[in-house]
Amino acid sequence: MNRPPLPTRALLPLLAPFAGIFAAGLCLTALQSLGLFLPTASGGPTLEHYWAVLGSAAMRRSLAFTLYVSLVSALGSVSLGTALGYMVWKLPTRLRQAAVVYKVGLILPHVAVAFLVLLCFGQTGLLASLAHTLGLAPTPQDFPQILYAGDGLGMILAYMFKGTPFAMLMVLAVLFGFDTRLLQTAAMLGAGRLETFRRVTLPRLLPAMHSAFIILFLYAFGAFDIPFLLGESRPGMLSMRVYDIYFQKDLADRPQAMAILALMFAFTTLFTMVYNALARRVDDRGRKL
Amino acid sequence: MRHVATLVMLGVLFVLPVGVLLLQAGAPGWRYPDVLPPGLSWDGFAQALRNPGTMLAALGSSVAYSLATVALTVAMTLGPARFLARTSFRGKNLLEGLLLTPALVPAMTYSMGLHFAFIRLGLADSAVGVVLVLSIASYPYMLRSLTTACTHLGPDYRTCALNLGASPWQAFRQVELPLLLPALAAGGSVVFLVAFSEYFLVFLIGGGTVPSFTGYLFPVITSSNRGLGAMVTLIFLAVPVALFVTLELLLGGYFRKRGMR
Repeated sequence: MNRPPLPTRALLPLLAPFAGIFAAGLCLTALQSLGLFLPTASGGPTLEHYWAVLGSAAMRRSLAFTLYVSLVSALGSVSLGTALGYMVWKLPTRLRQAAVVYKVGLILPHVAVAFLVLLCFGQTGLLASLAHTLGLAPTPQDFPQILYAGDGLGMILAYMFKGTPFAMLMVLAVLFGFDTRLLQTAAMLGAGRLETFRRVTLPRLLPAMHSAFIILFLYAFGAFDIPFLLGESRPGMLSMRVYDIYFQKDLADRPQAMAILALMFAFTTLFTMVYNALARRVDDRGRKL
Repeated sequence: MRHVATLVMLGVLFVLPVGVLLLQAGAPGWRYPDVLPPGLSWDGFAQALRNPGTMLAALGSSVAYSLATVALTVAMTLGPARFLARTSFRGKNLLEGLLLTPALVPAMTYSMGLHFAFIRLGLADSAVGVVLVLSIASYPYMLRSLTTACTHLGPDYRTCALNLGASPWQAFRQVELPLLLPALAAGGSVVFLVAFSEYFLVFLIGGGTVPSFTGYLFPVITSSNRGLGAMVTLIFLAVPVALFVTLELLLGGYFRKRGMR
């Protein structure tokens, strides 16, 4: 069979940096995790750093905690964002203009959102002041500890502030291009509001919701800024483990940081593939009904 | 009534925080246990403006490397996006999926391996290195936006121009490029935001020699200077909004002049 050659030339401006920077960076991470290409003298390739990471109970706790924070924040963002997006879509046209304020959450960087969370939810923050004035919590210590309490709530709040508008953006992009005749048909056939949403609108929003979920989940899984500012040190997010080992510990421990990164990369690619495959199957079944 | 609930929720989530920031910036002394600021003044602004050197340097540096990142991602993706929209070949879906991965996998996974190579190549601690790594992290958004636009555009406009005797360059410059401007603006806005908001990559690859506005905010957050923190956060909002509004106005003017809208 005459196979067309892979069109490398036209794609070169993209393939060159992809291979030379992105893939090369990944390879160097993987090689260093095997104990090669280190700033110090390195011996032969070894898997010992992987065993050290996988065998550590503290590391397993970090993994569970990271998964928990990313899952809760991504699920929360997608649910709230979808609900708000749907509500904004239902607004009369002249009020829709006012809804652009949701973009504040898209524009503010994670660092700034962390500042806002500290300002509002800290033990000497605004909510604490309010509780003090209302006589609910006379001193800062009486105010329930929201941040750094060990349950990742501060990080979840920050991620949701960023993630909710993102999910809204994705959902609204679909809704604004939505054929409203579908809704009229559903109404004419006697469907109630809830049923129309569940059986007509929601199935069409699902692909956008899945994309938003994957992007937000994976971002929270591997990001640095929010855990650095709002994360608790124990159990600690995986990215903080990597940072601590890479910058603060002995150079000899560096392969361990790289091993964690290699495992995180493997997890994110596997997760994306499995999630996409599952989502496609479930959505297809839903659409056949 | 339903609409009131929507507006209230949007207000509490997104307008109230900005209001708090404005008050905090205007009343640097506002702290626990006051629910309302003790009195507004321009002291905070005056204090920040008295010695604006480091703040402006950080802001200027951030804007500069973010704009450079936008330019580089356009250079990387414009040709390939046109090609991907027009041609189909074996393994295309897989390749397109692969090309989007840098936006999905944690930036740490490739940047920390890269750090080692950049040190050897002399790219670490340099603005060039920062722009390169930021372009990798953000080009998928540009690629996605341009590929979608090129697919919608189709080959007909170009064919028509070529049939009318335009050279390939003229067809691109005078027909295709103007039609792609909205997609370039949309992709560019996202790329700018990603680069402008990034802390870790600039800190890792820039190594402190490339100042960043996110890096300027970092120590302020943990200090007790809430007024300054609020003001810096407001600037984080104001700069992109100003840029986007300018871009919108420029595009609108351009299209009106050419009678395209």
